[in-house]
Amino acid sequence: MAVNSEYKCRVAKPSDFDEFWGGVLFEVGKIDLVPDCAEDDLRSTAEISVYQVYYNSLNNVRVSGWYAIPRHNDGDLPSILLVPGYQSDPSIPKDWASKGYACLSINPRGKVRSRLQFDPGYPGLLTYGIIDKNTYSYRGFYVDAWRAIDFLLSRPEIDNQSIGVTGSSQGGGLTITTSAMRSEVRAAAAGAPYLCGYMDAIELTDTYPYHEINDYLRANPESREDVENTLAYFDGISFADKIKCPIIINIGLQDNVCPPETGYALFSSIGSKQKKLFEYDGHGHEAGRYIHTSIVDDFFAEHLKGDC
Amino acid sequence: MNTIRPSDFGSFWYELGKDLADIPASPEIEGIPMRSTDFADLYGVRITSIGPYRLYGFLSIPKSDGPVPAIYYTPKNASVLEIIPQGTSNAIRGRYVTFSLACRGMRNSDKPYAAMYPGQLTDGIHDPESYVYRGIVADTMRGLDFLMSRPEVDRNAVVAWGNDNALLAAALHDSVTHVVTTPAYLLNTIEMAERTSTYPLEEFNDYIRRFPEQRDQVENILNYYNLKWHAQSITATTLVMADHESGLYSPQSLSSLVEGIAGEATVHESERSSFRDGLFAEKWITENLIGEDADPIVPAHWQE
Repeated sequence: MAVNSEYKCRVAKPSDFDEFWGGVLFEVGKIDLVPDCAEDDLRSTAEISVYQVYYNSLNNVRVSGWYAIPRHNDGDLPSILLVPGYQSDPSIPKDWASKGYACLSINPRGKVRSRLQFDPGYPGLLTYGIIDKNTYSYRGFYVDAWRAIDFLLSRPEIDNQSIGVTGSSQGGGLTITTSAMRSEVRAAAAGAPYLCGYMDAIELTDTYPYHEINDYLRANPESREDVENTLAYFDGISFADKIKCPIIINIGLQDNVCPPETGYALFSSIGSKQKKLFEYDGHGHEAGRYIHTSIVDDFFAEHLKGDC
Repeated sequence: MNTIRPSDFGSFWYELGKDLADIPASPEIEGIPMRSTDFADLYGVRITSIGPYRLYGFLSIPKSDGPVPAIYYTPKNASVLEIIPQGTSNAIRGRYVTFSLACRGMRNSDKPYAAMYPGQLTDGIHDPESYVYRGIVADTMRGLDFLMSRPEVDRNAVVAWGNDNALLAAALHDSVTHVVTTPAYLLNTIEMAERTSTYPLEEFNDYIRRFPEQRDQVENILNYYNLKWHAQSITATTLVMADHESGLYSPQSLSSLVEGIAGEATVHESERSSFRDGLFAEKWITENLIGEDADPIVPAHWQE
């Protein structure tokens, strides 16, 4: 199937987009972070210290994460925020620590170890509260990722001027929204970005997780307009013009989960002047990972470590 | 590395089967209208495994006249239970009965036991009776007991699809006619773990690093689950999805397993593309379960 690289998604950024998210940020700004960081002896090694992490986010939801750092460091580490996929369990990022980064891998609300206060389930997360932008699941979920930057900034061993964010699939979508909303992010790498062009994606593919929205609309056809209105506030394309840091995006042209058309539409909307798209023909949702991993490594080394 | 099958291997698994047979499955089935379509109905299923422990699964039944081939998505080493795997065309639910089961610890089957990831693979591993995987294997078999009780299932076309548990299902339950498997942690576990620092195998490295005095005991317990000892019991037609030649589970690494499988076994070496690998598996399953002239049901972006 040929992919239209000029594809434009139908989403229109709401006129009160900044006002809406400004209100959310004001709300979360009143909540103390209360970071907790305890070394996990079971997961640590001679070279890498692994910590179990918790911090407060919107609605006082306690968010968990894994934080890994090189055991021997000079207290000026570049850092990476690693954001997770939709269904996958967040990984312990020893691999990033072994490359010389402090890396925080988070479990936003509803995921393992962050489920006590909010747990819409799978399937379910994608449509929970979707009738209203103020109740939609991703209102808090996005903030959980943004707040992770505050956790990194609270750490004495990191260089506050060298923070990157990366992830694939939902992690790609969270990379977009986080780099848009947190100016401290100096470089971003988004793979196969999800949560971009929702209303197009549900027609371009019949696979889960996007298909959750089709299930919802089939059961609640009268809510289509409300759903579309809500999603406009959460669409990565609506955030994209705010991204000013260097960013790379990779997509698979045979992606069966996040349609590549939405990746093209996202890329064209990104505000950064330093942006680059990597298209992998013959690849699906893994979006050329085996080739692209080293590109991401080089990208972060250049922008966070100053390697040329 | 253990090169000899445990002397009580047969009795170990016989006892598990006996324990399971003593527990009634007691299925409860409830429709899920929101995820039913004009071509398939979805149900939530609760069944009992050893413990006793109550499990949850998603059963999808085509609206066509049965019986039809069935796909059993075996329990995973991951928290989330999917209806069908992410990225699979929802339209396959019109062709196959599908059943996905959450073993104990996974979401939907996490009361009272909620597994951690990582954590599930080494929970209770210091003792063969307390090791959680014994229950997980029982859960996997119980899922097949339930699936085979459904009149909509064509008993000549039942595929177990998943990671290591798909092979265990085929070895320990005689209803499986086909297997699609991507081995990830139960073949020569400790030996393979020593060659990587990547999860899920890193979970075993973590455990042995923390409790080095238990190494031999852990290896002995894992030997009951070693896929190479189960291979000779697998008579199903099997597709083994191997890593690329540079990967940990390359065709070469898997050769001792593949050569031991009693049924016809095909190995697909990864082309490092989820599209190409996924399309191969869909074509294989279509050819084997539906017929050589049938087209695979694939997502739009996989269609030529």
